[in-house]
Amino acid sequence: MAILEVEHICKSFEKTEVLKDISFSLEEGQVLSIIGSSGSGKTTLLRCLNFLERPDSGVIRVCGETLYDSRNPSPMQESEIRKKRLHFGLVFQSFNLFPQYTALENVMLAKELLAREQPDYKARKKEIQGEIRTLAEEFLRQMGLSDRMGSYPHQLSGGQCQRVAIARALALKPDILCFDEPTSALDPELTGEVLRVMKELADQKTTMIIVTHEMAFARDVASHVIFMDDGYILEQGTPKQVFEHSHEERTRQFLSRFTQG
Amino acid sequence: MKKLIAVMLAGVMTAAMVTGCGGNNDGTPADAPAETEAPAADEAQTEEGESTDAVSEETEVASEESDMAYVKDKGTLVVGITDFEPMDYKDESGNWIGFDADMATAFAESLGVAVEFVEINWDSKIMELDGKTIDCVWNGMTLTDEVKSSMECSNAYCNNAQIVIVPADKAEQYQDIDSLSGLNFAVEGGSAGEEQVSSLGLDFTEVTAQSDALMEVAAGTSDAAVIDSLMAAAMVGEGTGYANLTYTVGLNSEEYGVGFRKGSDLAAALNEFFVSAYADGSMETIAETYGVQAAIIAQ
Amino acid sequence: MELILEQMPIVIQSLNVGFLQTLKLFFVTLLGAVPLGLIIAFGSMSRFRPLGYLTKVVVWIIRGTPLMIQLLIIYYFPGLVFGKPIWGGGEAGRFVAASVSFIFNYACYFSEIYRGGIQSVPVGQEEAGLVLGMTRSQIFFKITLLQMIKRIVPPMSNEIITLVKDTSLARIIALQEIIWAGQAFMKGSQGISGAIWPMFFTAIYYLIFSGVLTVLLGRLEKKLDYFR
Repeated sequence: MAILEVEHICKSFEKTEVLKDISFSLEEGQVLSIIGSSGSGKTTLLRCLNFLERPDSGVIRVCGETLYDSRNPSPMQESEIRKKRLHFGLVFQSFNLFPQYTALENVMLAKELLAREQPDYKARKKEIQGEIRTLAEEFLRQMGLSDRMGSYPHQLSGGQCQRVAIARALALKPDILCFDEPTSALDPELTGEVLRVMKELADQKTTMIIVTHEMAFARDVASHVIFMDDGYILEQGTPKQVFEHSHEERTRQFLSRFTQG
Repeated sequence: MKKLIAVMLAGVMTAAMVTGCGGNNDGTPADAPAETEAPAADEAQTEEGESTDAVSEETEVASEESDMAYVKDKGTLVVGITDFEPMDYKDESGNWIGFDADMATAFAESLGVAVEFVEINWDSKIMELDGKTIDCVWNGMTLTDEVKSSMECSNAYCNNAQIVIVPADKAEQYQDIDSLSGLNFAVEGGSAGEEQVSSLGLDFTEVTAQSDALMEVAAGTSDAAVIDSLMAAAMVGEGTGYANLTYTVGLNSEEYGVGFRKGSDLAAALNEFFVSAYADGSMETIAETYGVQAAIIAQ
Repeated sequence: MELILEQMPIVIQSLNVGFLQTLKLFFVTLLGAVPLGLIIAFGSMSRFRPLGYLTKVVVWIIRGTPLMIQLLIIYYFPGLVFGKPIWGGGEAGRFVAASVSFIFNYACYFSEIYRGGIQSVPVGQEEAGLVLGMTRSQIFFKITLLQMIKRIVPPMSNEIITLVKDTSLARIIALQEIIWAGQAFMKGSQGISGAIWPMFFTAIYYLIFSGVLTVLLGRLEKKLDYFR
């Protein structure tokens, strides 16, 4: 069964239609790359999945559970939305690390706050915090940051920041980890280290949706590629299908810009 | 609560704006006579002429009972004063004494209420009275036309004069009124001294207190000042803080009285008290304590 | 000079009493206006339009009129206009009225500083908190607040130093703060009359106190320097 099913999502801002009838599905352990030019709606799609935007219509299901259905417009409680969000993790283009916390604290914070809602939190406070800390350290180590755990974001390079952000998202163990152009804010020489850890995550069968302009990365790592243009999904399939045997003239035109360059 | 006050404030301000800011003029003594003429003529015990016509009718309730009953009811006579030797000032242990302070204490005693002295800004005295934050002004207040029209005043109890203050080394040049022209005077805004200099057509600057007027002369920023003679006697000349100032010409003679809210029945009660205190000699005794016995007026 | 030395003990004692009143007004204002300002800031940023407009109008009125007039209105209007002198004539009542005026006035100024501070925290911070499953209040207290504080310390320091000196305005409703205490010696008080120097001497008190505050606020600013 597909871990994620998206059906007929539409979204408009004022009078601009940004998403037009978007449908796709994703299997567990797969990596989905969404490519397309700026303004094609890729980021808005990710934001809809993470409930930062609410779709005007459509259905979103995760593991068979309906998270959002526009036909059932019962106003969602803030607390409900919070729970639903936790199915997804999101890594931002601009990292959005919390500047007043160290790398380790950034990774631990959300988990700690969630733990407070457990009924036995008060009784086992020390123990729980210890567990969270160990877990956070493990994730940072995995990101190759064992020596930077106590550093504040402004003391880290862009690539290191983005790796902290990935660890922060992983710490909540989301079903699906989303990346919104994770390397676009980085110098070219720092892009590599971030792509490397993303490749590792893919190898570990982490389910991911990656909005990216790194065509080579999409082709090599993704199991599935979606090409979006002007709010539509113009083409989707395996990397081979989309990159080498595209049906649409628009796709070939878009891709040629990258392969030539 | 705070929100509520803000809303009230907004409402009140709007009301004030709509009615041409009638309410705000209360504080300016200069405006008072003109504006209070009408309500002074009608006997009703309203709070204050301008404010009643400025705001809706419901605000004039509360004042049906007499002022005497109001004061007796709360059990305290709140006396508005300024620190003014020898009338109202603090002794070493911080108690209010002086000719006026002692008389006020005795008057409150005769009413069977406690006395409370509160220092006020002289400029705000009418606002303090009408706003009921004080019950009377008893502080060597000269009975000018302006004072009499905006307050219910007692009979005069003490003589005073407005007197010219100049640096001691120049005193000889200024011994009569004619010699004063060309000088720049400092006077307390709204005081009897201001009335005198402006009626003489002299140049003057308004300051906020009589003592500020003295400072102006001492600092040389004004050539001369006009203040109360009783105050001058206590504050100017050898052995005081203003040893190099002196007083020369008296511009007028005038009298001190006590001011109550317009229409108050306490003024009449005080007049009776003055009569009995003068008759039994207690007024004289108190006056002697503060060296003003020569100035008191027979009741 | 000798005279001044002779008067010094009495004057200092009296100025201390006045300065205590100044300090009381200062701290009460700060204690009241700092949280009230936050409430007003949230009010003016409210998505509920009428509340937003109402707070904006209140802020406009308070910031658009002199504090001196506000003091006069708050102290005298209840008695003058409504016949109910709610504050009473005594010193305690004048202090409460002055505190209310100052808290209100400063809360409105603070609210605008807060608003600027909150709005200058990048929206990405809130979004990062949201996708990590935090509640709005967790996001405010754990993420936005400290970043906002860091940004508002310099403008707040400015306002706080101004407040130290603004307390002297309370003289208009006869609150006996330090300048009042100094001026009393010009007229004559406790056997000293016509002394001008005590009033000017009050400046030393203000100078020392604002100096201490400047140092403390500077330290706070430095303390928040650990992040950017």
